[in-house]
Amino acid sequence: MRNIQLLALGVSAAMLLAGCSAAAADDEIVVGAVYSITGSQASIDQPGYNGFKLAAKQINESGGINGKQIRVAFSDAASETTTLTNVVSELIENDGAVALGGTNDSTLALVAGPIAQAAGIPFVASGATLPTLPEQVGDSMFMACYGDDLQAEAIADYSTEELGAQTAWALVDQAYDFTTALNKFFQERFTASGGEIVLEDSYKSGDTDYSAQIARLQALKTQPDVLFVAAIPNEAGIITQQIRAAGLMQPIVSGDGYDTPLVAEVAGANSKDVYFSTHVSLESTDAVVQDFVTAYTEEYGTAPENAFAALGFDTMNLIADALKRATDDTDPAAVRDALASTQNLVAVTGTISFPEGSRKPSKAVTIMRIVDEVTTFVETIQP
Amino acid sequence: MKSFLTRKNVVLLGGIVLLVVLLGVADATLNNYYLRILQLMGIYIVLTASLNLTNGFTGDFSLGHAAFMAIGGYVSALLTMPLAARALQLADLPAWFQEFAMPFPLATVLGGLLAALVALPVGLVVLRLRGHYLAVMTLGLLIVVKSLASNWEPVTRGARGLSGLDSATTLWWAFGWAVVTVFVVWRLVHSPFGRSMIAVRDDSVAAASRGIYVFQIRLIAFIMSAFFGGVGGALLAHQLTAITPPTYSFDLTFLIVIMLVIGGSGSVTGSVIGAIIMTIVPVILRDLERRFELPGVSQIIIAAALIAFMIFRRQGLMGSREMHPSTWFMKKPATPVSVDAPQQ
Repeated sequence: MRNIQLLALGVSAAMLLAGCSAAAADDEIVVGAVYSITGSQASIDQPGYNGFKLAAKQINESGGINGKQIRVAFSDAASETTTLTNVVSELIENDGAVALGGTNDSTLALVAGPIAQAAGIPFVASGATLPTLPEQVGDSMFMACYGDDLQAEAIADYSTEELGAQTAWALVDQAYDFTTALNKFFQERFTASGGEIVLEDSYKSGDTDYSAQIARLQALKTQPDVLFVAAIPNEAGIITQQIRAAGLMQPIVSGDGYDTPLVAEVAGANSKDVYFSTHVSLESTDAVVQDFVTAYTEEYGTAPENAFAALGFDTMNLIADALKRATDDTDPAAVRDALASTQNLVAVTGTISFPEGSRKPSKAVTIMRIVDEVTTFVETIQP
Repeated sequence: MKSFLTRKNVVLLGGIVLLVVLLGVADATLNNYYLRILQLMGIYIVLTASLNLTNGFTGDFSLGHAAFMAIGGYVSALLTMPLAARALQLADLPAWFQEFAMPFPLATVLGGLLAALVALPVGLVVLRLRGHYLAVMTLGLLIVVKSLASNWEPVTRGARGLSGLDSATTLWWAFGWAVVTVFVVWRLVHSPFGRSMIAVRDDSVAAASRGIYVFQIRLIAFIMSAFFGGVGGALLAHQLTAITPPTYSFDLTFLIVIMLVIGGSGSVTGSVIGAIIMTIVPVILRDLERRFELPGVSQIIIAAALIAFMIFRRQGLMGSREMHPSTWFMKKPATPVSVDAPQQ
């Protein structure tokens, strides 16, 4: 009996001690990668992390930064808030990361960001598009991607100018910051350029039957010119399928939630005339994009899975560029200042500049079109 | 009159002084990462020790602990949220709600109280059942609370959750609550009331025939457990500085149940040991995952270890025995205070 007690006590003590591990070395710069390669985020975070590592590898092969090599410190955040907070803290405190990059989800970025902010470590969110993210977290938070305001405005402009739309129907997923923000900015821009939202309807992520919303749309006296759908990838295919199956053939317009193979797979022959905004077209003939696609394919044996791979790549390059320009590449505050003054950095997802006082880049938005299961590049819109 | 300075009380006081010194040293020497893990440990001790009241001592196998945590978490988050974050996130709520932010300690207690208040009507209904039926009903409670959190947009912001909370959970709050929880649970279990709880667990018919109000005992244990569950939820929300529905999932309920089972349900010190082990093991395994670049392996290892545990030491590390520091310094072996392990 007493033996068991002592054993239990001993095991606990041994575990406490075992928790301690090693820290950073001198002739290297540690950059933390915050990605969830297991759990619900895995399908977009794994490509993101791959892109991030690829950029670091390329930088090291071409001599590193200020004579130092970059070491990417990484620990899986498991798509879960408790693990995520532990990981971010570990990368800062134990690995001595001078800057962090990662996360493709705004909610997770809002959890990870404040820890970096409190420690004064700059954090570059690679794919979290909540426009208010930098303001909500503080002056250490940057975005490598554009905000939802920019992409919503781009697709609204495309609807009015190129598709000649004057009236629109809006369907919004109420469950996400991303979808509600996309809807808000789309409507503001669309009405500001003289358009009219004839009906706004909503649903919740996870719904599978949209017949009620479609019936209300069909009951309208005059049909709207375009159908705007603010959805996350999970529902993008189902909604498209049901709208087309009901015989409604107007163009469907949306944001980067539609940048998923699910639209073509689920809607099949019904995936017609869908336009959406996203970060980059990997089929673009632009040399920067093609070099990235080639390097990624060589490194991982597969073409970049989606735009998040490119965003991960750009995130690392954004940090590297700041490290090069920083007055002291070991001082997080200097790196933060250098990041804030980023100008005209050529990146795969468009040229990145942070306007004065803003930590959200103004960059080009890519418009894509899906016709009969095939996604093609339409144009890029400069803000 | 009995002297206050009994052997037991001296050991108790000594233990608390020792803990305060250790925490003080930890607070001064460890970096934020290790402090974060330690805080998590304190929170898990609160949760496991309180779950023990129902699952271990009264024999009511509840899977609803995460539901009470969610209630405590959301209530405290809504009360403490800083004004700037309020303006951004809770614009739909009445004006008076935009203009105050309650201190964290008070909000923690209120979070616990509301969880307890919810446990009253819920307990009146679900405690009519026992065994598997009760487990399923409490699981249902978790689903109800989660759907409420996901759909009550103006208040909880649905799936988006509430963020931008102060990181108010310190080492002192986490372990302060852990000490309070363990103390309350210990005193409760080692009181006539605790004897009744154990009697109800072991044979409720016999207990009833001896004049014990079985339902009342079970209800009080359920409510007490819910209170500390709510407190634990509030602490966790202010450790993560954000609260979203997926955090309070089945996984969390199961994690706490696993801690209890490993430590030994029916043993207060066992639940503390279980919480400590299940805080540290995943951290060490995550470290190994990193070193050998095998993401996801730690979950498989933990699952396999649990199966092995269930086969070879079903009653948990401590069974239903207690670790008695006051007896370590005595010559004669300690006598078991409690009876057999619960039959779950």
